[in-house]
Amino acid sequence: MLDIKSLMVFYENALAVNNLNLDVRKGEIVGVFGSNSAGKTTLINTIAGLTLHLKWREQRKGGQRITIVGAQLFEDEDIGKLSPSERVKKGIVLCRERHPVFRDLAVEENLRLGGFLIKNQAKVKKSIDLVYSIFPPLTKLKTRKAGLCSGGEQEMIAIGMALVARPKLLLLDEPLLGLSPAMQAIVVQALKDIRKLEVTVLLTEQYARPIMPHIDRGFIIENGTLIMSGTQEELMDNPEVISAYFGM
Amino acid sequence: MKAGHRKERIDRGIKVRADEIFAISSYREILYLMGPRLLAIMGLLLFPLFRDVTGAYWQTVGFIACIIALLALSWNFLFSVGLVSLGQAFFFGVGAYFTGYFNHFLGLGPLFSIPLATVCGAVLCTIVIFPVLRLRGIYFALITFALPLFLMRIIEATGYLGGTEGISGLQRLPGLTFSVYVSVVVVLAVTFIYLRFFDTDYGLVLRAIHDNDMSVLAGGLSVQWYKAQAVFIAALPATFAGALMTHHYRIVGMPAFAMEYSILPLTAAVVGGTGTFAGGVLGAFILVPFSEMLRAFGTLRIVMYSALLLLFVVGLPEGIYRFAQRKYFQFERIVPLEEEKQ
Repeated sequence: MLDIKSLMVFYENALAVNNLNLDVRKGEIVGVFGSNSAGKTTLINTIAGLTLHLKWREQRKGGQRITIVGAQLFEDEDIGKLSPSERVKKGIVLCRERHPVFRDLAVEENLRLGGFLIKNQAKVKKSIDLVYSIFPPLTKLKTRKAGLCSGGEQEMIAIGMALVARPKLLLLDEPLLGLSPAMQAIVVQALKDIRKLEVTVLLTEQYARPIMPHIDRGFIIENGTLIMSGTQEELMDNPEVISAYFGM
Repeated sequence: MKAGHRKERIDRGIKVRADEIFAISSYREILYLMGPRLLAIMGLLLFPLFRDVTGAYWQTVGFIACIIALLALSWNFLFSVGLVSLGQAFFFGVGAYFTGYFNHFLGLGPLFSIPLATVCGAVLCTIVIFPVLRLRGIYFALITFALPLFLMRIIEATGYLGGTEGISGLQRLPGLTFSVYVSVVVVLAVTFIYLRFFDTDYGLVLRAIHDNDMSVLAGGLSVQWYKAQAVFIAALPATFAGALMTHHYRIVGMPAFAMEYSILPLTAAVVGGTGTFAGGVLGAFILVPFSEMLRAFGTLRIVMYSALLLLFVVGLPEGIYRFAQRKYFQFERIVPLEEEKQ
């Protein structure tokens, strides 16, 4: 479904993503693991087109020079030059890290905004109901301002917004960041439900333990370089991976 | 560009040797570093001597450019502390009226009235702005925008300080060349002092307030108090500009609060590069003569002026100064893509 071939991203002269190959097959949940500054966010932003947008913006104001090379294929189509909005129309939807929500809008309004591009109102309504069924705690918060919700609830809203946009490929950037173990469990549980919707998921995370049992394949990156990839079992059997990303 | 290559931007040789200390090994390198600065300083210092060549008209334009440069420096200082001012005319006007008052009513000569007006004006400005320092962003900008209009109407309505007619017949300065020299020297001095000032620990706090005032507050410092001090320091060159201009023209009136003293410094700062002190000065020395040259076009002048501003804000948001600085200190080359081996 998604094929990243020898992707390199430079911020000025610093290499953020180093000759990375990555593929995601339809229906999979794929995890990208790595420590801080490994290049996870850059990778996922590049797939979503945000890095390209940043590159244009910086170019215009004469700031940082960002270089992106390598092939980005989505359903055998080159998306490397597409703007973020065009990628969303193709079905690549990103949920950024640190639960970004529209703070002054109600929860329901946030979710409705997620479906802004979908013209069929009935379909949007159905998607929103679906989000409520995936994240039951949100049902009680429909009219509350998103800014007043807790971090975990905001993460649910953020993932929900991405889901309402009906993605084929859902990109989740550190969905568990800053959540309590209980909240993490809810988000991880939601991942299972999302899989049932036939949404392919690519997610990044620093701490692999809560999420590892639910992924099909994983990629481990360090300093922008892919150091290991494999199925869930292969990674779980690797002592190095266990010590580095499971904290054991 | 060839496939498998990318464009790289690196500093020119001399800057690479150390991050903080320049290792200078030849006159060529000294010239490379000091050249642009010396050129600017010498240009400014020598300009008043060429009165025969430029004529009094362009000398006056230079003088006004210096005045706007001082206001732009003041604007940039406030900006660096996170305060966006739309009312530089407020500082300017307060300085102007103070010096008018001191000279006309108290009979002080320019030697005393200008410095006194500078300090007293800055103190008054700080006191007036103090209560609204807690406001941020657009709200602070709106208040500063309203202040000069407010004072202007008070003077008009009460007739105090000369009312609509202003205070005229103030003591004269020795002449145009003297005024130009004083303004040039002060512009250079303020630029230098401000630049150095922001590198001190105290300046560090001010820059931190610009970045994240909540963290400064959490660090146990009173943001309000630091901002008040910053307003005072930023007001000094602006009130001085007002005082000097008043004595130069020997009259102070309501136009001292005119909008152009708010807008011109702002645009000079934007054109030169917001947050860069030298940039604001550069912007003033480009904008003021440019707007004078456009006088030939009559009403179209404002159109062309606005078009230029639009061009700058959209096309070169970083400002002339940063752009030139980058081009001067860095160069670009095409390098092959190399992956880092782990």
